[in-house]
Amino acid sequence: MTPLERAFRGAKSDARLYALGVFSVAVAFVCLAAALLVVVNVNELYERWGDTGRASVFLRTDTPAAQVTALEQALRRTPGVVKVRYVSSDEARKGLAGNGRDPLLDALPLEAFPASLELELERGITAQRITELKQQLGALPAVDAVETYEAWSERLRALLSGGVAAALLLAVVVLAAVMSVVSSTLRLSLERRRIEVEVLKLVGATDAYVRRPFVLEGAAQGAMGSVLALALLGVLFAIVRSEADPALFTLLGLEPRFLPWYAAVGLLVLGSLLGAASARIGLRKLLEV
Amino acid sequence: MEPSGSPRVFRSALRGSSRFDPTAAHRPVLVFENVHKAYRADAAVLKGLTLEIARGEFVFITGPSGAGKSTLLRLVYAAEGVDSGRILFLGRDIGRLAASSVPYLRRNIGVVFQDFKLVPNWSVFDNVAVPLEVLGLPQRAIRTRVGEVLERVGLAGRGNDTARQLSGGEQQRVAIARAIVGEPAILLADEPTGNLDPVLAVDVLGLIEDIHATGVTVLFATHDRSLLDVRPRRVVVLDEGRAHDVRQGLSEETSVPPRMQVV
Repeated sequence: MTPLERAFRGAKSDARLYALGVFSVAVAFVCLAAALLVVVNVNELYERWGDTGRASVFLRTDTPAAQVTALEQALRRTPGVVKVRYVSSDEARKGLAGNGRDPLLDALPLEAFPASLELELERGITAQRITELKQQLGALPAVDAVETYEAWSERLRALLSGGVAAALLLAVVVLAAVMSVVSSTLRLSLERRRIEVEVLKLVGATDAYVRRPFVLEGAAQGAMGSVLALALLGVLFAIVRSEADPALFTLLGLEPRFLPWYAAVGLLVLGSLLGAASARIGLRKLLEV
Repeated sequence: MEPSGSPRVFRSALRGSSRFDPTAAHRPVLVFENVHKAYRADAAVLKGLTLEIARGEFVFITGPSGAGKSTLLRLVYAAEGVDSGRILFLGRDIGRLAASSVPYLRRNIGVVFQDFKLVPNWSVFDNVAVPLEVLGLPQRAIRTRVGEVLERVGLAGRGNDTARQLSGGEQQRVAIARAIVGEPAILLADEPTGNLDPVLAVDVLGLIEDIHATGVTVLFATHDRSLLDVRPRRVVVLDEGRAHDVRQGLSEETSVPPRMQVV
């Protein structure tokens, strides 16, 4: 009988406890995977908002259209500027009010919503280059003011990097809890099969011979638990995503995403390793027969 | 099939020389030389025990509870180590075996316990086949050999039953089958009838005697005096940590002091 066949026999003979072990691993891994999911999405937010340079060039109300077009074309050729979009006063008012009509906003004069050129700046653009652009643009007669959102961006960046750090810390704490839960569950399962280990040792099995199927079983249990956890989390993720207001995602400027494939594979490998290591550690005492 | 090691390793390691030695067959299979064993410093179990078991002998080890019967057997299959003295099995000192050699020692010893030590959710076949699987024998050979042994212990056709479905007597038969399936040099029986009623106890004793008749050396530890009187056998009484040999059974021995009389 190969170690794999012996592992299968062991799992089959105590199927209920084996299933309980898989479920415990799954519950623990759902927590870990959820923490990772938070890390992934907060990091995405960080990438989207913490690092992207934006600038709004507010134009004077009396600026002729030809001058605006010339400025727009000049900006398109400016190094560091990726995209330029003209937003008229009317569009600015609509953008703020949305599709509905707000009598309060309607009452405001058109000057309250100056036309602007919305710039998307290159990724990784330096703060010094942004300041230079601001100064150059501010000196132009058609430009009323330039907003580079630097302070806001700085605050957001700090907030998001704090979020990433907190999520990573949570992932580490959950990982420790997962290790404890998994090893306790597997040890309980091994304790119930003490007689099997004793018998094998008494008939002359070497430690390696006794250990192999148990380690295989532990690895399979860990892998199955982590796959179940990913499936459960996938379902939860789909439910939350379908229930959440799409406007929130539009406002945030990104769609929430599930764990990338390499994180899922990593969880699977971690589950297997944890299962195998727990079985090996749990067997250590039992092998002293 | 993945054996945990060559089944021949221990046997060849026991040989002192590769040359044929005609006297080897006449040497005792098991020798205890001044063996001391204590679990606590103030309570020694064996105090200089000396004993020789000849090849093919059937020996009852008896004595009151706590006399050291189980300890004596545990020392033979290296579940315990001696504090001092030597135990020679087939001429090799068990106490000096490396931990990695202990499995190979155990492949030469069959052990039967009072509590059977069967894996309850395994089938009878799986429980009996385990020593052969450890040896790495092919499945066909295992099936044939297990079938033969089950027939020998009166359990032919019961291979697919799970161990927990069997009665106490049947479970002990499975345990005996497992102990002899690998054709060990010695069979150690540690109170094998302790959990059985008197009729079944005699039945199990008869089975072990049948196995002994095929040439297997048997060490039968019991505190049940009625078994000692079933047939005249060599009886070794453990008392005060020493072995007292009573060659023809307790009933014929008058020199055994009353405190050594077992109940």
